[in-house]
Amino acid sequence: MLDPAVHAQLASVLPAEALLTSAEETRPYESDGLTMYRELPAAVAIPEDEAQLIAVLQRCHAAGVAVVARGAGTSLSGGALPVKHGVLVAMAKFRRIVSVDPVACTAVVQPGVRNLAISTAVAPHGLYYAPDPSSQIACTIGGNVGENAGGVHCLKYGLTVHNVRRVRGVLITGEVVEFGGDALDSAGYDLLALIHGSEGLLAVTTEITVKLTPKPQTAQVALAAFSDVGAAGNAVAAVIGAGIVPAGLEMMDRSATRAAEEFVHAGYPLDAAAVLLVETDGTPEEVGADMAEITRVLAAAGATAIRVSKDERERLLLWSGRKAAFPAVGRISPDYYCIDGTIPRRALAEVLRQTEVLSQQFNLRCANVFHAGDGNLHPLILYDANIAEESRRAEAFGAAILELCIEVGGTITGEHGVGVEKLPQMCVQFRPAELDCFLAVKAAFDPQSLLNPGKGVPTLSRCAEFGKMHVHHGKLAHPELPRF
Amino acid sequence: MNMPAQIRARPDAHDVADLVTRLMADYGERAQTSRAARDQHSHGEGLADAGLPDVVVFPHTNDEVAAIVRLCHAARMPVIAFGVGTSLEGHVAALYGGVCIDLSQMNRVLEVNAEDLDCRVQAGVLREELNAELKGTGLFFPIDPGANATLGGMAATRASGTNAVRYGTMRENVLGLTVVTPDGRIIKTGGRSRKSSAGYDLTRLYVGAEGTLGVITEIQLRLYGVPEAISAGICQFETLDGAVQTVILAMQHGIPVARIELLDDVQMEACIRYSKLEGLKAKPTLLFEFHGSEAGVAEQVAQMQAITEEFGGSAFEWATKPEDRTRLWKARHAAYYAAKAMFPGKQVFATDACVPISRLADCVLATKADADETGLVAPIVGHVGDGNFHLCVLFDPDDAGERERAEGLARRISLRAIAMGGTCTGEHGIGVHKLDALVAEHGDAVDLMRTIKRALDPHNIMNPGKTVPL
Repeated sequence: MLDPAVHAQLASVLPAEALLTSAEETRPYESDGLTMYRELPAAVAIPEDEAQLIAVLQRCHAAGVAVVARGAGTSLSGGALPVKHGVLVAMAKFRRIVSVDPVACTAVVQPGVRNLAISTAVAPHGLYYAPDPSSQIACTIGGNVGENAGGVHCLKYGLTVHNVRRVRGVLITGEVVEFGGDALDSAGYDLLALIHGSEGLLAVTTEITVKLTPKPQTAQVALAAFSDVGAAGNAVAAVIGAGIVPAGLEMMDRSATRAAEEFVHAGYPLDAAAVLLVETDGTPEEVGADMAEITRVLAAAGATAIRVSKDERERLLLWSGRKAAFPAVGRISPDYYCIDGTIPRRALAEVLRQTEVLSQQFNLRCANVFHAGDGNLHPLILYDANIAEESRRAEAFGAAILELCIEVGGTITGEHGVGVEKLPQMCVQFRPAELDCFLAVKAAFDPQSLLNPGKGVPTLSRCAEFGKMHVHHGKLAHPELPRF
Repeated sequence: MNMPAQIRARPDAHDVADLVTRLMADYGERAQTSRAARDQHSHGEGLADAGLPDVVVFPHTNDEVAAIVRLCHAARMPVIAFGVGTSLEGHVAALYGGVCIDLSQMNRVLEVNAEDLDCRVQAGVLREELNAELKGTGLFFPIDPGANATLGGMAATRASGTNAVRYGTMRENVLGLTVVTPDGRIIKTGGRSRKSSAGYDLTRLYVGAEGTLGVITEIQLRLYGVPEAISAGICQFETLDGAVQTVILAMQHGIPVARIELLDDVQMEACIRYSKLEGLKAKPTLLFEFHGSEAGVAEQVAQMQAITEEFGGSAFEWATKPEDRTRLWKARHAAYYAAKAMFPGKQVFATDACVPISRLADCVLATKADADETGLVAPIVGHVGDGNFHLCVLFDPDDAGERERAEGLARRISLRAIAMGGTCTGEHGIGVHKLDALVAEHGDAVDLMRTIKRALDPHNIMNPGKTVPL
C-alpha cells in the first residue's frame, strides 16, 4: 500500500492512466527475467517525459519512498525486481529516437528504445549499434546501460560502456545530470563509466547518446568441431594468441549442441564434444585473410571438422543454433540454473575440465554455452526443482563453479549483473575495503539509498551462499527470446 | 592562473618534522628532503607552476605505499603520487606541501599472460620499458602519449595518444588496478577477466582521477598482437581544411587507421627544422600508420589514397622500413620540443581540445583563425582521428601581456570545444589549470564529482587542489 499522501502527490504530477496501484495492474511488473523472485510494488508510475519523471523522483525522495526503474524487464539478476512499499518507474514511454548524426556516427535515443531498433533506424546510413545482447529484440538501451550489457560481438566491438558517449540521467533528488560528452573523452572523473553497470542504483537515465559503427561490408563464420572440450578451450586461446580479433568467438559443449540442433536444425555435428563458432567481419579482403588464418589455427589446434559459411544465409543458420541455445536447453530439462562467471581465457580448458568432474561428482548434467572469446561462461545446470534434494545439489554445484571462477582470477558475473541474485557472492569476490568504496560511491549519489535498494552491492555480510538463476519449466519473462 | 577553490594551508611545521623523522627512520635514504629532490618533484613538464613537497619517499611495495599513506592520513598530510613528471597540467605540484610518493622504483613488470593478452605492471614502469620487455612475445602495448611516461601516470591522467583511434585510450586498456585508498588500505579493482558486471566500475573511476582518490600502485593492462604488416605514409595538403576533411571522411568510412596525425604548416616548419626532415614542405600534413594483415593494410591504404586525392592531398610518401617509421614518429613526438625550439626562451602552453569528429573542421579552422589573430606563434598538432588536437602556444614568460594573450587563447580553445559538444581535455587532464573549464563543461555533474571526492577522500589529502574544484 502506498501512503495516501504520497499517492495524492504522485497523482498530482502524473496523468491518471500513468499511475497504477491495484494488484491486477501492478502484477505484470512483479518480476523480471529472474522469475524466482517476485514482489508487488505499492505503485507503478509510467512517466511520459523527463519533467514527469523528475516530479515523481522528487516526491518519492521527499517521502523517503524507494524507487526502482524498469526497462523491458529482461534482466537475469533481478535488477528490475520491485521493492515492497516502493514505486516502480516504468520507462516504456521513453521510446523516441531523438536524432541521428551520420557524420559523427552517433544517435541520441531515449532509454526505452529497444537495442535492435537503433540498428534498424540507422541502417539507411550504413551504420549500426554494435553491442548485441541476445535479447536485443526486446531489451532496452536504458537497461543495457544499467547492466553494461555485452553480447556475442563485444569481443571486437566492446561492451555498452565502450559504445555510449553521453548519458543524461536524473538523480533521486530530481536533479538532472549529464554524464560524459559528445567527444571521445570527457574531463574529470569518469562518471559515464560509473553509471554503466550501476544497475539503476545511481540515477534513472532519460537520454543516451550511442556511438554507431559503420556496418562491415561482409562477415563469415567458421564452425569447428572438437572431440575434447579442453582442446576446444585451447583453440580459443590459440585463435586470440595468433593476434586475430574475431567479431565473435562462442563455444557450445555436446549437451548444448545437441539441444540446439534438435530445436533449430542448424546442421551442428552431434558427435563433437564441443563446437566453436568463430566470426570475422570487415572488407572482403580482410575477411578472406582472417578466415584463412582462423581455419589454419583451428585445424592446428585439433579441430576434427571445420565448416565455413559460404553466404549470408548459411552464416545466419550457423548462428541460429547458438542464439537459440538457452530456450533449447529449456526443452530438455524441467529446470536449469544459469551461471554467469568470467575467467581469464587461458583458464578455459582447465575450468571446463573441472566442471565436467564436478558434474559427475554432483551427478547432474551441465550444458555449456558461452562467450569463449572473452572468457564469459554460462554453464547451465540441469535439474528438477520438484525434487528438493536435487535443487540443493544444483545450488552446491553452481557455487562450486563460481568458486572455481574466482579461484582462477575471474569474476562472479560477466554481464548479467549482481541484482538480488548474486549479493552473497559479492562478499566472496570483494574485500571489505573494496565494498566500502562501492558504498561510498552509492552514498555520494543517493545517501538515503532510495534508488533500487537491496541490489548490486551487499550492505552487510550476506556471504552465506551463492545465488543462481532458476528457470522453472522454461518460464522466463520472455521465454521466446534468444538468450545471452 | 586559476587557483583551487578551496585553499588549504601548508601543514604545520611540527607535524611535518614528526612525519619526516618517522619516514626517514622507516625508509632511510629512500626518504629525501634535500632541496634538489624536492625541486625535482615540484613540477611536471608544463608551465613551471611549482609546489614544493616537504619530503619525497621512494617505496618499493604496495604495503610500503599503504604504510606511508596511513601515516599521512593520521597526520592529515597531502599525498602526491609522482611518476616521471611528464604531466602538462601541473598534476604533481605539491600546492600545499606534503609527501610526494615517487613510484619510479616500483618498476617491475609483474606478469605477462600471452594467451590472455594482458600483463600486470607496477605503477613506475615506463611505457617504453614495458614494450622493450614485451619484445619477443609478439605483443605490444599501444598507448603512446609521446612522452615516455610511467604507466601509473598514464592511468591516473587517462592518457591517450597517437593511436587512440584504433586502440582506444587508457580508459579502454586498463583492465584492473591495485589502489591504495586515502586511509591506507589496499584494494583491487577489475581483474584479469575481460568483463565483469560485479559492483561499480571503480577501475575507470580511478583511471583519470589524477591521484585525487587514491594512489595507483599496480595496473593490469590489455596487450595486442604486433600486427603482421605496418606501413606509414605522409600526405601533404594545400589547405588545412583539405587535411581535416580527409580525416573526417576516413573516420566516417570506418577505415581502421592505426594512427592519423595532423600537423599544420607552422608545426611542419618547426619539425622539419628540429628533426631535419627531408623532402617535406611546411604545409598542412597528415601522418598515417596502418596496421593489419598484408591484404588489409593494402586495402586501407588504397581507400585512404582515394580520399586524400579528393581533398587535394599529395601523393603518399612511404615509410615501410621500421627505422624510417621510427624517424617519422620521433619527429611527431618531438613536436612539442620542436615548437619550443623555434623561439628559445619562450614557454609553451599546450592546449588539449577534443570535439566530435563532425565538428573537427569547424573547431580546427576557427581555432587557427583565432590563433592567427593573437599574433602568437601557436603550431597545431593532433591525433584528429579521435577529434583531439593540441596547440603549442608560445609566449614570453617575462612579457605579462603575451602571457595573458596566450592564456586567453587557451581558455577560448577550451570553451570553443565545449560549446561544440567536446571537452577541454582529450588526454592531458584537468590538473590545476582547467578547474574552471571543467565546470563550464560539466555544470551540475561537477557537484557529483565533488561529492564522490568527499565520499572517498573525506580529509582531502589526496593530491589536493587538483581535478575537481572543492
